[in-house]
Amino acid sequence: MKGDQLGEFEELVLLTIALLYDDAYSVAVVEELSKRLQRPMSLGAVHRTMQRLEEKGLVASRFGEALAERGGRRKRLFTVTTSGEQALQEARQIRNDLWAGIPKVAFGGAMS
Amino acid sequence: MKNSPRPYRWAEKLFSCIAAPHLREELLGDLDERFYKHGQRYGYAIARLLYLIDILLLLHPRLWRRKADTYETITYYSSSFILHPDMLRNYFKIAFRNLIKNKVYSFINISGLAVGMACCLAICLYVYDEFSFDRFHTNAPNLYRVVEKQNQAGTLYDVASSPGPLAPALKAEFAEIKQYCRFDRYWGILKHDSTIIEDIDMLGVDHSFFNMFNFPLLRGNVNQALLNPNEIIITESTAERFFGSQWKHSTNILGQPFQFKDKTFTLTGIAQNPPHNSHIQFDILFSYLLTENDKDQYKWNNDSHYNYLLLQPNTDIVSLNKKLFGFMAKYRPFDKPTISLQPMSDIYLNPAFSFQTDWQTKGSRLYIWVFVAVGSIVLLIALFNFMNLSTARAMKRAQEVGVRKAIGAVRLQLVVQFLGESLLLTLLAVIFSIGLLILFLPLLNEIAAKSLIIPFTEPLLWLVIMGFTLLISFLAGIYPAFYLSGFQPIKVLKGVFNIQSGQLFRRTLVVSQFTMSVVLVTGAIVIYKQLTFMQNQNLGFDQSQLLSTWIRPELHNKIEMMKADLEQQSSIAQVTLTTGNLVDMNNSTYDFSWEGQAPGEGMVITHANADPQFLKTTGMKLIAGRNFDPKITSDTAEAYVINETAAKRMHWTPEQALGKTITFWQKKGKVIGVVKDFHFRPLTAAIEPFLLRYWPVGPYNYNNFLIKTRPNLNHEAIAALEQVYKKYKSIMPPYYEFVDQSLENQYRTEQRTGKVVFYFSALAIFVSCLGLFGLVTFTAEQRTKEIGIRKVLGATVTNIVNLLSKDFLQLVVLAIIIASPLAWFLMNQWLADFAYKTDVEWWIFALSGILAIGIALLTVSFKAIRAAVVNPVKSLRSE
Repeated sequence: MKGDQLGEFEELVLLTIALLYDDAYSVAVVEELSKRLQRPMSLGAVHRTMQRLEEKGLVASRFGEALAERGGRRKRLFTVTTSGEQALQEARQIRNDLWAGIPKVAFGGAMS
Repeated sequence: MKNSPRPYRWAEKLFSCIAAPHLREELLGDLDERFYKHGQRYGYAIARLLYLIDILLLLHPRLWRRKADTYETITYYSSSFILHPDMLRNYFKIAFRNLIKNKVYSFINISGLAVGMACCLAICLYVYDEFSFDRFHTNAPNLYRVVEKQNQAGTLYDVASSPGPLAPALKAEFAEIKQYCRFDRYWGILKHDSTIIEDIDMLGVDHSFFNMFNFPLLRGNVNQALLNPNEIIITESTAERFFGSQWKHSTNILGQPFQFKDKTFTLTGIAQNPPHNSHIQFDILFSYLLTENDKDQYKWNNDSHYNYLLLQPNTDIVSLNKKLFGFMAKYRPFDKPTISLQPMSDIYLNPAFSFQTDWQTKGSRLYIWVFVAVGSIVLLIALFNFMNLSTARAMKRAQEVGVRKAIGAVRLQLVVQFLGESLLLTLLAVIFSIGLLILFLPLLNEIAAKSLIIPFTEPLLWLVIMGFTLLISFLAGIYPAFYLSGFQPIKVLKGVFNIQSGQLFRRTLVVSQFTMSVVLVTGAIVIYKQLTFMQNQNLGFDQSQLLSTWIRPELHNKIEMMKADLEQQSSIAQVTLTTGNLVDMNNSTYDFSWEGQAPGEGMVITHANADPQFLKTTGMKLIAGRNFDPKITSDTAEAYVINETAAKRMHWTPEQALGKTITFWQKKGKVIGVVKDFHFRPLTAAIEPFLLRYWPVGPYNYNNFLIKTRPNLNHEAIAALEQVYKKYKSIMPPYYEFVDQSLENQYRTEQRTGKVVFYFSALAIFVSCLGLFGLVTFTAEQRTKEIGIRKVLGATVTNIVNLLSKDFLQLVVLAIIIASPLAWFLMNQWLADFAYKTDVEWWIFALSGILAIGIALLTVSFKAIRAAVVNPVKSLRSE
């Protein structure tokens, strides 16, 4: 199912929204992500991803208050929904399982 | 942040145009926020650049894709804004769904409107063409023609022509006249090398012709043209006939010699072909000096010329007309004709002149109005269909109106919605109507004898079509719009809905539709009846098998021999020499008196020369006295045969007339016979006094052979005629016509009108029936349950069909009752133009009535029977 598939970038954005919790809106997400990933990021890409996430029902949005530095316009604030949280958990579970399944020798040999 | 730096305004504007409404606010906010953050960090110049890059990277279908139902829609419009884009989209969607869902009604509306509009557009083209006549002259507003009013025997006759010396005399006396141009018409053979051309329009015109009118010269000098009597100017099409299509490449074409009437003329110019919308048509131009030098032609007594004047701008035409009025009295003391000025633009459309003095190219205001009227009627009927069907089907839309109103639609919004729907339908209809027009324009051209084209590149056309579309959609939609938008939501949503409402309105419209249709049908029948009447009217002579041929000037010396030769032919029964073709005889004079004439009495008498075979060849009947006799020599000098009317005007019975002395053209003579009245003019004119005289058979006393062929030997007779012409060395083959055909041809205008009215009345009936069909379909739908129950209870199919048809047939009958007197009045008006006319009899109304009822019944019962035979199980099952 489409909704179950979480792309890599989607996952990152979703995690950032969860991280920012009460102030997750597109500009903040862009800044947070580019800071952490150490690479520039376009507003467009992030905004589109957030739209997609909302269509999948993984995030919900509401309008925040109007701010002067935004030309008196409101920001759209996102929160992760229950199914969003579930999707993140699943993704994490898959990774954990994968990590757990890796034989010790695979990395161990190289490390020592 | 009023004074702080701002991002590019244009970029902001552009972006908010592109962005979907629901994303607009947040994204503009985001962009602004980033702009200020960037500005503080890197400076505002770079921030502006980054702003643009941000926008660039936001460009993606997601940006402008609307939908996204999960978002809360944000609006920058006030809620009462009627043309909100979302609402517009919704209106279109609903209109489109309605169109698709109700295919029958959509078809009826669109096809009806398309037919109506195509009719109207065609008529517009026609009328535009008619009114465009003679407007291409730069001087058109200041051009006038001098026309005369002649008093003949107490009757005033309008005459379009006037004497040649008139214009110079007028110019000398009145300063208001800037220039004049005189016209004379010539006939004959034009020769260049071995090429001989005869069937062309030749005019003699003044030098001013090219200055006053817009007839440009392709070759030659306008300032020098026609200053000498031996000049000739030909049109391009004539040049092509003489020199072939390559004439344009020849350099020595000017100066070529032409022979006309034994004189040589030099080609000094080639004129552009006169446009088709000019009443002045010509192939050849000579100098008017030819006429001016001919003392027989150029005199005050000769009324056979046209005088055109160019007046100074802003001349007071009323006062000038007053000054001119009695001008000719001093030059023509014997009949004192009065003159007046006729505006150039009036000439083509007002050909109300006697004695065929006007030009051949003429239109008719009456028929323009007839065409406009019938075209509008078809359109009106289509409009009524639209109104009827929309209001009848109002109940289907009532729920929608109720819901819309309940959630806050104001009435104006609904009016706009329904008007918009009618605009949509009209637009579709316009597209179809243009298609129809392209398809049927050739037919119209054939009927109206026009060469109309659709000027697709003409902006005016599109302006008219646009105006038409708006007007028609407004007219068609305005009543339904107000009617539908007036519903009270609480009532319609509760289901309390009065089916009867608007029924009176619909019935009125149906009655008017059929009234108009019946009037048109009656009109068509009366016109056809009058045409057949004219064709079958006993003209007082036998026009069948009668061949008329004009005697060429060079053959005049051999008339007697030719006649003898023709009489020898086995295919020819009779030959007579005369001076008319029996179709339209116009040689008339006032110079006539009789013994016992009371002072102040007088009459115009039309006359023809005829030899003794005339009566036998034409089949005319003598009712008193005798025919001319070749053995009595005095018959060729002092014997006259007159018609009944002439005798009556002189207060004699036919018998009393015999032996009485009459004076014709100063020549005394005796009446030797009275011939039964015959029609020598079209049937629009009453029979007037007529006189025949028998002149010695010789050159120039006769100009026409009338030949009675033997049954079924027309071809042989024509061949024989050509043989005789060849034998006497005619340079051209004979020009002949069959009298019965020529008689028919003179009613061409009437035939054309008849055809137009016929086609349009067929269309009117068709569109009316479309509407009726729609209404019946609707009623049958409404009463499906009722019909089902009635059938269960034992009603027969006939009962049901009766039930459904009765209402509509009543309306049609009412329409016939209204239409009959209306049609009677209108057709009597039209027939008043004819001196000899058919009666508007009761059966015509009965016929058109039966026709209307029959077609209506057919339409109604088609649907009614289908509704009646449906198995009640089906109609009652659905719920």
